[in-house]
Amino acid sequence: MTYQTALALALPFGLAIAAFGSAIGLGRAVSAAMEAMGRQPEAAGKIQVGMIIGCALLEALTIYALVTVFVLSGKIG
Amino acid sequence: MIRILNILLLLVSTGAKEAGKKAAEQGAPELPNFITLLYERYGKTALVQFLHTWQNVVFSLIIILILGFVAYFSSRRKTLLPGKLQNFMEIAVESLDNFICGILGPRGRQFTPFLGTLFIYILCMNFLGLIPGMKSPSSSLNTTVALAICVFLYVQFTGIKNLGIIGYLDHLAGNPRDFVTWALVPINLPIHIIGELAKPMSLSLRLFGNITGEDILIAVFVSLGVMALSFLNLPVGLPLQVPFIFLALLTGTIQALVFTLLSTIYFLLMFPHEEEKH
Repeated sequence: MTYQTALALALPFGLAIAAFGSAIGLGRAVSAAMEAMGRQPEAAGKIQVGMIIGCALLEALTIYALVTVFVLSGKIG
Repeated sequence: MIRILNILLLLVSTGAKEAGKKAAEQGAPELPNFITLLYERYGKTALVQFLHTWQNVVFSLIIILILGFVAYFSSRRKTLLPGKLQNFMEIAVESLDNFICGILGPRGRQFTPFLGTLFIYILCMNFLGLIPGMKSPSSSLNTTVALAICVFLYVQFTGIKNLGIIGYLDHLAGNPRDFVTWALVPINLPIHIIGELAKPMSLSLRLFGNITGEDILIAVFVSLGVMALSFLNLPVGLPLQVPFIFLALLTGTIQALVFTLLSTIYFLLMFPHEEEKH
């Protein structure tokens, strides 16, 4: 198995696992935000801002995996 | 007028074919911008080679010129009952000021110029890539690392200025007061230093990854659209990338907001901690 084969097998799996993890985390964050907004609709603006920021921070970890895929996919072919 | 359209059509069709060829060679497709198109046609001249090497700087300069002109013209004659442009700029400045002072407190007003400019600059950089023929400078790691290093240096300088050198080292070592925390200093100090160094890295990579991801997504859909109508042998394509341009608007705004917010929070962490106990 050459390193190109190994990369070609591993990179999509790595990205898929990162996306899976962030999907779980984002689902939890957004569901908590929705619940809080339902309990107190007048604080919905602040809760929404906080949710967006939390989602961006969570997304960043998946983006690190995506950047790694970009950098390494040039070495495949 | 017709001649300009002819030249534009020639440049765009060359660019579409080159983009298609490039996408077949390398991994990540990229949309051509006007500097790449000029490079395909006139690549032998020194001026176009210079522009092509520094294309991110050229696009950043375009944004700086536009923002500078808007700022100059909106604050030339300040009237008490503002006109449209001054009104718009006042709304932008005041909402940014409220946002930053809401986190940093009334002492944060001295950081509003830096952080507000950071937000507007990153927002304009992210949006510039959506205009056909332009490229986001923040889709290159050089620009984002430069911005993150500026924020990092300013935060450390603010920390040293506010806390003093001894207080700054004390803050880095985790505020040792009694025997247990003094004994933990050899663990706390490297962890804090690595944490401080990780902050600009995460800031830059987050912005770079998001904007590059959006650009590549749009480029992939543009090439899909061109391939869909490739039987016509004309430089036209289905506009399949339009929903993703809206998505890119959203993520561009969010990433600018997150960059600014995180920089504000890094400033907040450098202020003396005694103020928070009330």
